[in-house]
Amino acid sequence: MSKKRAVILHTAIIFSFILVSLRLADLMIIDHKRLAEKAQQQHVKVEDIQVRRGTIFDRRGRELALNLELESLYCDPEALIADEEDIKRLGSLVNKEPRRILAKIPDEGRFAWIKRKLSPEIADKVRDLDIEGLGFVTEAKRVYPKGELASHIIGFVGIDNQALEGVELKFNKYLTAKGGKVLLERDASGKTLSSGVNTEAKGNNIVLTIDEVLQRLVEKELDTAMEHWKAAAASAIMMDPYTGEILALANRPAYDLNRSGNVPGFEKRNRAITDCYEPGSIFKIVIGAGSLEEKLVTPNSLFDVSKGGIQVGGKTIRDVHKYGVLTFKEVIQKSSNVGSIMAGMKLGRENIYRYAKLFGVGEKTGIDLPGEVSGWIHKPERWSGTSLGAIPIGQEVAVTPIQMLRAYAAIANGGILVRPHVVSEIVSPDDTIIASFRDNDAHRIISARTAETFRDILKSVTEDGGTAKSASVDGNLVAGKTGTAQMIDTVTKRYSRDKYVSSFVGFVPADNPRLAMIVVVYEPKGQIYGGVVAAPVFREIARQALSYLNVPREDNLGQHAVLVLR
Amino acid sequence: MSFVLKPFLITLLLVGVFGLVYLRANFLKLEYSLGELEKKKMHCLRDRKMLFAEKTSLLSFARLESSPSEEGFVLPDRLKVVHISKQMRSLTQQASLKQKQLAEP
Repeated sequence: MSKKRAVILHTAIIFSFILVSLRLADLMIIDHKRLAEKAQQQHVKVEDIQVRRGTIFDRRGRELALNLELESLYCDPEALIADEEDIKRLGSLVNKEPRRILAKIPDEGRFAWIKRKLSPEIADKVRDLDIEGLGFVTEAKRVYPKGELASHIIGFVGIDNQALEGVELKFNKYLTAKGGKVLLERDASGKTLSSGVNTEAKGNNIVLTIDEVLQRLVEKELDTAMEHWKAAAASAIMMDPYTGEILALANRPAYDLNRSGNVPGFEKRNRAITDCYEPGSIFKIVIGAGSLEEKLVTPNSLFDVSKGGIQVGGKTIRDVHKYGVLTFKEVIQKSSNVGSIMAGMKLGRENIYRYAKLFGVGEKTGIDLPGEVSGWIHKPERWSGTSLGAIPIGQEVAVTPIQMLRAYAAIANGGILVRPHVVSEIVSPDDTIIASFRDNDAHRIISARTAETFRDILKSVTEDGGTAKSASVDGNLVAGKTGTAQMIDTVTKRYSRDKYVSSFVGFVPADNPRLAMIVVVYEPKGQIYGGVVAAPVFREIARQALSYLNVPREDNLGQHAVLVLR
Repeated sequence: MSFVLKPFLITLLLVGVFGLVYLRANFLKLEYSLGELEKKKMHCLRDRKMLFAEKTSLLSFARLESSPSEEGFVLPDRLKVVHISKQMRSLTQQASLKQKQLAEP
C-alpha cells in the first residue's frame, strides 16, 4: 500500500515538474518576445530630453530672457477620483471655473492638461489637495525679467516655447536645441533609477547689441512724450553710426513680454521697422547731400525764396515762414521747402532717385529682426508733374524710421552706409562663440568731404536760427534735422489736416559721433512740428545717454585731466 | 579529501551566489540613492533659476532708477565729471624721466 502511495507521489511530482517545465518553455521560448516587450515597457520609461532655449543677454551681459522650470498639471481621466468639492477647490487654486476644468477632462484616454506652467506655490497647494489621478510634469517657461523693456526687439514665445516674435523668432534655430528621447529604468512602484545621462539640452545664448540702460532711457523719454503730446504712437532708435549696432530701439505702445498672450496686434508691431510714413523734411538729406556731391551747390550758394512759394506741376508749395534770400546752408537750417525744391530741380529727377536709392530708400536695411518693410520711391518715369515738388520735401516717398536713421548715420560716419543689427554674438552653452555679427555690408555712398560739409550744415539746425534749437545738448554739438509730415487720412485718402508725424534725426557729438538717433512721434496733439515735439525728446535722451556713456563735454565748462602713464 | 572539499565547494558556491545577490542589491540601492539625489539636484536647480530670475528682475535699471532710496541710480552731473584722457606719445617718456629723477635726486 505504501509502495503504491510512493508511486502516485512520484508520478505527481514528476508530472508537476513536467507542467512547470512546459510553462517555463512557454514563457521563455514560445511567448518570449511578447513578454520581454511587456517587461521592458514596465521597467523602462521613455522620457523626452527637455529642450531649454538659450539665454538672451544685452551688450553688457545682463539677462533679458531666460528659463524657469515650472510644473504643469495634468489628469489621467481613467484614474481620476474627485468629487465636486475637490474640483471646486482645484478651480479656485488654478483660477479656473469648475465647469471649465471638467470640460477639459475627456471621457476616454489617459492624459489631459488642466493648467500649464503653475507657479511653485500653486503647484504645492494643488499637491496638498491629494486628488488621485492628478499629476505634474516639469516644463520650461520662458521669462523676461525686465518685463516691458525692449519688447519689440526680444519678442516672445508661445505656451509650447515656439518662437513668435522678435529675436526669439529670427534666431530660433540658434536658441533651440535638438531634443530626443532617453531611456530611464524604474521599479514596480514607478521610482526612477539614476540614468547617469543628461536629460536636458540647451540652446545657444545670444548677445544683443542693445544696452539695457540706454534702452530704458529711450523708453522712459518716449513714455513722457506720449503722455505730454497725447500721441497715438512713437518710435525711437539709437545706433552706433560707425558699426550699425542698435543700442536701443523702442516703440510705443509696448507690452509686457511676460503677458504677451492677449496683447492686441498694434501694440506688438515694431513700428521702427514695419511702419512706412512720409518722412517730410528729414528727407532733405537726399537733396542736400546729392547736390553737394554733384557739386551743384556749396553751403554758400544763394537761393531766392522771397516769394514764399514755388509752383511745380500746377501746384504751389509754400514755406511755413517767408524768408528772403537764403544760402544753401540756411535752406537746410530753416528747412525751407521752396529752397529744397529749387535744389531738387537743379539735381534733377534721375539724380534724386539715384541718391535716394544710395541712401537706402525703398530698400530693406537688412536689420536682423522679422517683419522689416522696404518702403518705396517710384522710378522717375512714374513720377507725376508734381513729384519734383513733392519728393525733395519728403512727400510721395515712404520710409521707415530705421532707414532714415541709417541714412543720417552715413553723414555721421563720413559717408558709409552701414547695416543696422541687434545681434552681436551667438555663444554656445560652453561659451564658445559660434557666430559673431559685424557689419560686412558697409559701403561708401558719398565722399567723406560731402559728408563733412553736410554734417556742418546739420549742426546749424540745432543752433540759433535753426528749426531744432530744442535738440541741442549742453556741452556737446548736435547735428540733425527735423521733419513734420502730414499723414494720409485712411478715409478720404488725402492728406489729413490734423494728423501729423513729427520727427527728429541726428547724431551727437556732431564732430565725433558716439550715437545717432531718430525720434518719431505719430499724431501729436497740440503741436505738430518736429522741432517742438520730437527734438526735445532727442535732447533728453542724448543728455542722459552721453552721461551714461561717459562722453566728455566739448565746451570749456567740462573738466579735463591728463593721465600720465608710467 | 572529498569529505572536506565537497562542503567547501558548496559553501563557496552559496557564498558566491549570495555575494552576487548582495552586490546587485547594493548596486540597486545606490541607483535609488542617486535617483533621489538627482531629483534633489533638479529641485535645487529649479529654485536657483527662480532666484536668479528674481535677482535679475530686482537689479533691472528701471527698478534701480525708480528706487526712492539713496542707493537708486543717478546719472552723474557732467559738469562734475573729470575725464582722464590718455596721451600715449611723449608723456610716457616724460613720466619715466620724472620717475628717474625722483629715484636719483
